[in-house]
Amino acid sequence: MKLDIDKLRAEAEKELRDAGVHEKLSAWYSKFLGKKGIVRNFLASISDLSPEEKKEMGKKINLLKSDLEKLYSDAFSLVSSIKKDSQITEFYKTLPGKRPEVGHLHLITQAIREIDAVFARLGFVRVRYPEVDWDYFAFEALNMPKAHPARDEWETFFVDLPEDPKMGKVVVTPHTSSGQVREMLKAELPIRMLNISRCGRRQIDLNHVPTFYQFEGLVIDRGISISHLKGVLEYLIHNFFGKDTKFRLRPYDFRFTEPSFEVDVTCGLCGGKGCRFCKGGWVELGGAGMVHPNVLKAGGIDPEVYSGFAFGWGVERVLMMRSGIKIDDIRLLFENNMKFLEQF
Amino acid sequence: MNVLIPFSWIKDYVKTDASVKDVAEALSMHALSVERIIDDDVLEIEVTPNRGDALSVLGISRELMAVLPANGFTAEWIKEEVQSKKFSGKDKLDVRIDDPSLVPRFSAIVLDNVKIKSSPDWVKERLDKVGIRSINNVVDVTNYCMVELGQPMHAFDYDKITDHKMIVRSSEKGEVITTLDSVKRTLPEGVIVIEDGSGRLIDLCGIMGGENTEVTAETKKVLLFVQMYDPVKIRKSSMSLGHRTQAALRFEKGVDFEGIIPSLRVAVKMLEDFTGGDVSSELIDIKNFHYPEKKIKIDYERINRVAGIEIGKDFVNSSLSSLGFIIKDGEAIVPSWRYGDIEIVEDLAEEVIRIYGYQNLPSLIPSGALPHSTIEKKFLVEEKAKDFLKYNGFFECYNYSMTPKNLAGPGPLKIKNPLSGDFAFLRSSLIPKLLDILNKNKGYSDKVGVFELGPVFLAKNGDLPDQPFMLAMATRGVEYLELKGYVEALLDDLGVVTDFAFEIVDQGNGILSCEMCFDEISSMAGGIKGYSPLTTFNSIKEDITLLVDGNVPFKKIEEVVKGADARVKRVCFKDMFKDALTLSIEFLDRDKQITSEDTSGIREEIVKRLGSLYGIKLKV
Repeated sequence: MKLDIDKLRAEAEKELRDAGVHEKLSAWYSKFLGKKGIVRNFLASISDLSPEEKKEMGKKINLLKSDLEKLYSDAFSLVSSIKKDSQITEFYKTLPGKRPEVGHLHLITQAIREIDAVFARLGFVRVRYPEVDWDYFAFEALNMPKAHPARDEWETFFVDLPEDPKMGKVVVTPHTSSGQVREMLKAELPIRMLNISRCGRRQIDLNHVPTFYQFEGLVIDRGISISHLKGVLEYLIHNFFGKDTKFRLRPYDFRFTEPSFEVDVTCGLCGGKGCRFCKGGWVELGGAGMVHPNVLKAGGIDPEVYSGFAFGWGVERVLMMRSGIKIDDIRLLFENNMKFLEQF
Repeated sequence: MNVLIPFSWIKDYVKTDASVKDVAEALSMHALSVERIIDDDVLEIEVTPNRGDALSVLGISRELMAVLPANGFTAEWIKEEVQSKKFSGKDKLDVRIDDPSLVPRFSAIVLDNVKIKSSPDWVKERLDKVGIRSINNVVDVTNYCMVELGQPMHAFDYDKITDHKMIVRSSEKGEVITTLDSVKRTLPEGVIVIEDGSGRLIDLCGIMGGENTEVTAETKKVLLFVQMYDPVKIRKSSMSLGHRTQAALRFEKGVDFEGIIPSLRVAVKMLEDFTGGDVSSELIDIKNFHYPEKKIKIDYERINRVAGIEIGKDFVNSSLSSLGFIIKDGEAIVPSWRYGDIEIVEDLAEEVIRIYGYQNLPSLIPSGALPHSTIEKKFLVEEKAKDFLKYNGFFECYNYSMTPKNLAGPGPLKIKNPLSGDFAFLRSSLIPKLLDILNKNKGYSDKVGVFELGPVFLAKNGDLPDQPFMLAMATRGVEYLELKGYVEALLDDLGVVTDFAFEIVDQGNGILSCEMCFDEISSMAGGIKGYSPLTTFNSIKEDITLLVDGNVPFKKIEEVVKGADARVKRVCFKDMFKDALTLSIEFLDRDKQITSEDTSGIREEIVKRLGSLYGIKLKV
């Protein structure tokens, strides 16, 4: 048997380089350094040699053995560390991403966008009218002459400014309806208006805030009927509250519409079965009606030719009524606590 | 106003196969909203201000005659009227009415030999159901008739009225009367009152009687008093006195002028039955106002147009009849109890269509001509700006328009009737509230930004205040140039291509703010952005560090650098350390590949110009 140590060394080193993973490393170890491995066989095979040769060969084989042991242990720790690194890499990927600093849009903005989007699909054009307006537009032009008891329903703020002989006092408008006659006076018929504006009333409690938003729909054209009002409301209600929401019109009385209605939808909390938050499964959404002929006249429109409908509802109110967002105190919307704002 | 009407009481008037729940449903859908049913009997009904006629058992029963059949139930009127008979007797009342407009109709009658005692149990029970405390047989009759017939009444002790004389007039400011509830009331001017022969006030008309002429256990003669008053006067008086009685709430909505004498007859009959008394005077009935018959032409076509569908003539006529209208020669004669409410054909349309049932109308989307107006640019720009700020870490805030004075901004307008000092002024700036928000949210985060986009109110001589929409931003823990950068990037993103001046204000404690007129931004937004053709040549970017003395603003330096050579494509501020300003300059030659020899020539020109114009030198 020819003992070619150099060849063996080269062969072992090459195989070790190729091993790479733990399973192959141990096979390599058994092959070269194991109890029945090549190196042991070498050692055993030199027993026949002369003492001189034996000594020399033994020295060489032992050197080879220790070199291979060292190589093995280096390779072993390298493979181990690679394995550990790849585990850390995998863990790293499970960490949450580094997000850009994103802020928050207010709930009212979000609600306005949704409402606007629904009406835009029906061809309504968004407008905005002054929050501080003349008594004329807020009441007088809406078929509510001075001292009319219906005015009491609106808890109106007055601004400390002189009265205009024609337009009256300066008020914080208590409703978006003050935009009706302003829109008509633009003299662009037909009208499909969506007026989303700030309003104010002298009220503050769980359900009322002194500044709030309303959205007012106004449609004026030839041949507009209650059936059209119903169609538009149904489209809004199904898109905003969900397809399963039912609604109904109840007779009501507003000075600026005739006929007038209250619009109810099925309660989002109990689904219409009836609970302590609703009236027999229904909740009031707001008022609506066919534009009163006197209001059309105030807007310079001939009620014999044109007719129209209008409705004005609270943005915050429809937002709060929609199932899913249950805010127990409407004032939170205007407190601007960042722990509140960050939730939306 | 809500009114309590027991179904068991309605059954005196209407015989029906409908249950109390059916009645509530039919009323809600066709007439008036039933808010709830108490003890399976009492309906709590919301009566709108135009329907004063419905504030009674009689009024609701009339409605049911129309709405129950519309919902498929039977309804039969079973109430018999009290026979009218001629009253007579020797007792007199000397009535003087100063201003006839105060009392369109005045009626009264005297009953003698009355025995004051408690009312029969069924009367007490019915009053109890509607929340009225039983007093005695006489007072109870007046209250009972008010609930049943909708007509408030009053009973005086006839013998306590000095000289049996009444002067109906408007009060003078400061006059005093003690009412039945033992409250001494000092009157404003213009309240309707009655003075007796001794010159004292004995009645706060339409609101509450005087204590001095009250019916007591000793009363022998009762003056029953049934009136109609000027509704506006009653409302004003009752509101200014802060005394909103059941009687006042009914009078101010208007009572039925034809219902006054029938109501009086019902009350007289009950008083005779309960007190053993007899009428001892003639019927006093003074009509100060004539109500001509009110007729409205029934425009069937118009009614169809309002509904959007064809409603048959027969249905129109029968539903109006069922509500008490008399149909004659194509006209509807308005029943007296709806006199103030029904005026035009649209009112008739409402009556007919509500009986027809709004639920029975189709739902249609309006078709027709295109609307002329298109969306104003400002709405699109506002939403874009909000999104930009959100995605750059800002929180959107909404604040009330009304603020306390210290948070209102400069020269704010005042609210005449504020809720409290916290809402006494209209804001003229959005900044104070935003700073307040940062202050209140101190613990939230070291670095934080808030914004609001909303109106402020600026006084304008002889006109409505200007109400521009402002954009205000406030930050804590944000560097000056960082906030300036947000604003610049926002304006850029909105397409404001021309210079827009804005100011960043250091509010101290690491807080910065910026407020801009957003209406102006909107009008400038959406500018056309320039396009330069792309080139295949590469540009070279080099830094240049200059020593500045602070006398020349960056803008001027930038202009010089840019103007030095057409091949200066872009100049950016890179860094500032003490007085050393580093700019990053991008060079590009559109005709050939630019080289470092080219750029060093341009740099020399830049340095030369900066030196000669502003004395700015290169840092070496």
